[in-house]
Amino acid sequence: MKVDIRIAVTDGWIDTPDGIKHYIFGFVDITGVPEAEIFNYCGKAELMAPPLVFIVGDEVYLTLTNIGTPTRPDLDDPHTIHYHGFPNQIAFYDGVPEPSIAVPVGRNFTYYYKPLNPGTYMYHCHQEPVEHIQMGMTGPLIVRPADYDPDYPEYKTAYGHGTGTEFDREFYIFLSELDCHIHDLIAKVQDPDWTEYKPTYWLINGRSYPDTITNPTPCCLQQQPWSALIRANAGEKVLLRFVNLGFQQHALQLPGTVFKIIGMDAMRPLGRNGEDLSFFKNVVYISPGQSTDAIFTVPDPFQGQAGFPVVLSLYNRNLNKNYTAGMVPGGMISQVHIYPPGTLPPQTAPNQ
Amino acid sequence: MPTINLWATDGYISTPGGKSIYIWGFTDQEGGSAQLPGPTIIIKEEQPPAETVFDINLTNNLNEPVSLTFPGQKNVKVNGQRVQPQYNNGELVSLTNYALPGETITYSVTTSSPGTFLYESGTNPFKQVQMGLYGAIIVRPCDYEPHETGLCTAYGTGTGTEFDREYLLVLSEVDPAFHQAVKQGRDYDTRQFKPRYWMINGRCAPDTMLPDYTPQLPNQPYGAMILMEPGEKVLLRYAGAGIQNHPLHPHGHHTRLVGLDGRLLQNINNGEVNDLSYERFTVLAAAGQTCDQIYTWAGLGFDPATNPIPTTIPNLRNMSIGHLGWTLWSGSPYLGHKGELPSGMVSYNNAGEEYFMLHSHAELEITNWGAYPGGLMTMIAVYPPGTLGFNQGMLPTSL
Repeated sequence: MKVDIRIAVTDGWIDTPDGIKHYIFGFVDITGVPEAEIFNYCGKAELMAPPLVFIVGDEVYLTLTNIGTPTRPDLDDPHTIHYHGFPNQIAFYDGVPEPSIAVPVGRNFTYYYKPLNPGTYMYHCHQEPVEHIQMGMTGPLIVRPADYDPDYPEYKTAYGHGTGTEFDREFYIFLSELDCHIHDLIAKVQDPDWTEYKPTYWLINGRSYPDTITNPTPCCLQQQPWSALIRANAGEKVLLRFVNLGFQQHALQLPGTVFKIIGMDAMRPLGRNGEDLSFFKNVVYISPGQSTDAIFTVPDPFQGQAGFPVVLSLYNRNLNKNYTAGMVPGGMISQVHIYPPGTLPPQTAPNQ
Repeated sequence: MPTINLWATDGYISTPGGKSIYIWGFTDQEGGSAQLPGPTIIIKEEQPPAETVFDINLTNNLNEPVSLTFPGQKNVKVNGQRVQPQYNNGELVSLTNYALPGETITYSVTTSSPGTFLYESGTNPFKQVQMGLYGAIIVRPCDYEPHETGLCTAYGTGTGTEFDREYLLVLSEVDPAFHQAVKQGRDYDTRQFKPRYWMINGRCAPDTMLPDYTPQLPNQPYGAMILMEPGEKVLLRYAGAGIQNHPLHPHGHHTRLVGLDGRLLQNINNGEVNDLSYERFTVLAAAGQTCDQIYTWAGLGFDPATNPIPTTIPNLRNMSIGHLGWTLWSGSPYLGHKGELPSGMVSYNNAGEEYFMLHSHAELEITNWGAYPGGLMTMIAVYPPGTLGFNQGMLPTSL
């Protein structure tokens, strides 16, 4: 199927639970927005960036439009989109400025790709990537198998019928860090020394706990639309799509259940002769630029007794990252809320 | 029995910003300057059951004891005796037998497996390895024959590790304050360690993309630019010589990890072969670890006559091309073609080759003391078929 998407690049401000606002660069979806109205999106960058969901065989035409950064009108940085992990990509569409093209303010460029393999990928800007990634130009990307069909359980899979990757619900667990000192310097037109990078916030889907499990209000989280709350019925299979676009390794764990690792970097763990190398883990250890697909079965600890929803905690075993600028609890924490079987209707999109 | 002579001495390396950093390191030239990393040692294994043994004569021209450890090798001896930790009045002074200043010591090493390994100082290693006393060892399988189908492998015929070209990438990080303290004989508090430079083969980007033995980098002889043609199997050998872990991401394709720490990723149970290799788009090259991987890139079959790209090339004067007036781009989306670039743009493109970045995704590591581009980054250059020399990207069979 031909897929046309238009993504704008601009800046914006995000919230952390301590009431502080942080300057970001980022992406916002402007697909279908009339040309005369696209500049209404100036300053409306989102963290995490809009997730992209494709199916193997889609002909994806993604147009990037640079609408400028109103907080930093002096900044005339070009931007790009790099599809991280797409095999055999050609340099022209790879979004690396040094060997191809970048998009200056007021211009468009269309990236083409026909996804070849299912899995969890990511995308980000590759112009001066240390700055633009830290500033928030990062998002997750799902490629579904060609036979994906959510109406049939054996075809609602991460990697295709017969691969043992069936799931009932799926969630982005998109990991990054934020060094508020660096964001502040950039808002104030100063150059940071990147070797002094020292994050003060650790984020899931662009938010720090307890924002990870709450809903946006008129004053807060308007540019962070993605909760990280995992809601599921007991007995269901839940697929967590971990992506790390921070600069640190992270160690996510979810006591009360066990992860089956069914994908790493958009590849099933398979040997050269098709050997199944999938395995079980309590901690997902993930380095920058990696993705991990983990499925767990939602436990039914109360066996029909009262007390729902049952809550499990998802958090970073690098326990120093469960902080919000030094305040506990915060940071890379979220929750699983378990409901009695049949309570929640089927998911129609990730993270519902 | 191969014999290698190494001298531990000092010297200077350069950063792309023009700074000079004092190092300790190894050289295989008597009276030479230290180089970073140390000379690559390449050994071809003997046909089993014969064991493969090589000797290293280490002469210490530094002012404190220096030693060599050989992680992953089976048997290391000095004067016929297995090496031992060294104590002085009950206090550990070295993880292994060492050479005193001015002394020469001979290590006799028995290999354990084909693959990629490190050698490094085992004496005050936090200081000496940071200063540069490390290098890589490549052990070839006994049936290795360069360019011979089925025999040009990392781990031996039938192991699925055939390659067409190979590149060794030794990874490290440098805190220049540490090096300055050692140069001036001052103490250095290891808790203050804060790297400002990240390196492949002792070079920071963009120097990583300069050729081997480039004259302006006399003590950093090894380049890290990866040249290949489409569809070729490229063996990438990562060796983590620093104390940090680095997540390395090659654009353009996944790599298949075929060997870790100089061991083939394979189990054999009751004669049944279980291949344990796997593909990743980002490999965490951990401290002290080596990762042998096969990379390939075949493109998507676009060509201007029969299969043009499905989008319009924009007017390039409206776009941003390259970085600060230079580009690696040919001006064309097609491999082997060149297009018109805006005037005033300097292109380093030779033959319409396509460039894919290979870099640490801990992005602060692709800066030189905070300035992008730099650090632990290089490019994979895919040249049109038939344009690269036969021996491009082939290390010697043995030394």
